[in-house]
Amino acid sequence: MTELLQFVITGVTVGMVYSLIALGFVLIWKSSGVANLALGQLVLISSWFTYGMLVQVGLPLWLGFPAVILFALALGWIIEKFALRPLIAQPILSLITVTLGVAFFIEGATSFIWPKSVAALPRFFPQATVHIGTAVVSQEYLWAAVISFILFVLLSLYFKYHRMGIVMRAAADDQLAVQACGIPVTKIFSMAWMLACILAAIGGILMSSIGGITFGLTETGLKAFSVVILGGLDSFLGAIVAGPIIGLAESLGGGYLTPLTWPGVREIIPYITIIIVMFLKPYGLFGEARIERI
Amino acid sequence: MNVDLPAGTRNYTYAQDMAIFRTRTHWGLFLGLLAAMLTMPLYLGNYWLSVANLIGITIIAATGLNILTGYCGQLSIGHAGFIAVGAYTSAILTNRFELPFLVGLICAGIAAGAIGIIFGLPSMRVKGFYLAISTIAAQFIIIWVINHWNSMTGGFTGIRVPPASIGGVSFVSQASQFYLIVATTAMSVFFARNLARTKAGRAFIAIRDNDLAAEVMGINLFRYKLTAFFIGCFLAGIAGSLLAHRIGYINAENFTLMGSILYIAMIIIGGAGTTIGPIFGVIFIQMLQQGITLISPTLESIFALPAGFTAGIGPMVLGLIIVLFLILEPRGLAHRWTLFKTSCRLWPFSY
Repeated sequence: MTELLQFVITGVTVGMVYSLIALGFVLIWKSSGVANLALGQLVLISSWFTYGMLVQVGLPLWLGFPAVILFALALGWIIEKFALRPLIAQPILSLITVTLGVAFFIEGATSFIWPKSVAALPRFFPQATVHIGTAVVSQEYLWAAVISFILFVLLSLYFKYHRMGIVMRAAADDQLAVQACGIPVTKIFSMAWMLACILAAIGGILMSSIGGITFGLTETGLKAFSVVILGGLDSFLGAIVAGPIIGLAESLGGGYLTPLTWPGVREIIPYITIIIVMFLKPYGLFGEARIERI
Repeated sequence: MNVDLPAGTRNYTYAQDMAIFRTRTHWGLFLGLLAAMLTMPLYLGNYWLSVANLIGITIIAATGLNILTGYCGQLSIGHAGFIAVGAYTSAILTNRFELPFLVGLICAGIAAGAIGIIFGLPSMRVKGFYLAISTIAAQFIIIWVINHWNSMTGGFTGIRVPPASIGGVSFVSQASQFYLIVATTAMSVFFARNLARTKAGRAFIAIRDNDLAAEVMGINLFRYKLTAFFIGCFLAGIAGSLLAHRIGYINAENFTLMGSILYIAMIIIGGAGTTIGPIFGVIFIQMLQQGITLISPTLESIFALPAGFTAGIGPMVLGLIIVLFLILEPRGLAHRWTLFKTSCRLWPFSY
């Protein structure tokens, strides 16, 4: 019972971080129809940048985090401006492949600048464990969940009330109409990329403060794909709901299935989820099934 | 098609119209290329011969991916996974069951094709990004199974593969492997070239351009999409088998997601949906990688660059090239080649 509670808590909290990263994907997909396969690499490079700022340069936290956010903003702007902007209205195959090229580039740049394979961020959160019921949980997980939750709330407020948020929702709904209203759609695209990079950066910091910075962070991006597939590509709610489900499936499956199957079954649970969702409900839990016409 | 012909060349029979080599110049160039290929072991050293072997194998795999992605429009980012299926099938059959190489080769193709069909099934309901993700999932699931099915695949440590041999002739030296690989590559490319002109090939193109319209015109999507998956992955399996017998010892490290992405890059750079494209793309990328491997340590020592330079520069250059090609020449090197040929035809009187 204790074990179960522990698995549930870690699964749900890690899943919320997945949701956060997945939201960045949904943002870009909804506003510009680009599938961003460089998500994992964005997580990786912003974690390394955080490491560079906090440990190598030695900035204090209050200066380091704004630097990371600025870096994420610049990264998103550059990617959109120089890789995606020239390819507007190209077939989806090119749009997917160009993000793969970006992924390759970022991965190379990361191992260029930070040649070591493993590093640890300073501990931001208190170390003491917390007792919830009978379970003993490390506080970091709870903090990650709280921060993710606060960001969900902030984002939904932004989309509901802020002018730019409303414009972005409008663009997702009908790009042509937004353009006709005199709003530059390209500005929305770069806004979406910048927001997505910030979400990836925050997700990356949360993940790597728990597990350290490793190359495995790129897999966080791949797990975020299973979140968006399960939740539905064009649904914010879907991403928020599906994240904890994937996290839960991962930690429960890892906990209880490992003795029954080969060890390491935990790693492929997100991928098996993808295949199952493809067969049963390809547009996800909350996704909109597109009706095509010739 | 007549536009492609040089001035003064006319077709008088259907056989002439359909022939791949139509003029004396074609035949001359073809025989010249053949002679150059077959004598290559005479003047290439062992190192460059092994590079040529690798290029040949990669061309087979890229041709398969080109049929699937370039012709049929089904994006697959799990090609290295399917190659792994072929490599391991062949390795297990020849090592554990001691079957002849040819049996292993054919079974590798069929096994990879069958796995391809299974992971291609989602293509019935989804396309584009959804399919890309499900093939990434396929890659991870395949590699995971390989890493954990210890009794068969040898797990993380890998499996030893005996060298290829046909009827007592063993292909151990680079030169003998070269002939085996060139023959297989030529057959695959010839097959791919002809496939594009058959009913199936035309159905693939129709599906790529608009699958809904293709279905309305009476093309059986279920059948042709899965056929594309089978053929694409069959060639991947053949390539995997040749790769396994060439390097003699395989583990899952040989088949990474980055490898899968590189295959996509190759057909994009070469020109997706053309027969010549994958060949250009593979040669371009492989030569680039060789160049980077040769030059980067020297550069690093001369300019006293940081330690990560050698590891990082390869992916950076490749990523940059993918992005630049997509932006500047989305039709790839094959398109440039066509332009070049056209200007040759009119030379010296180009208008």
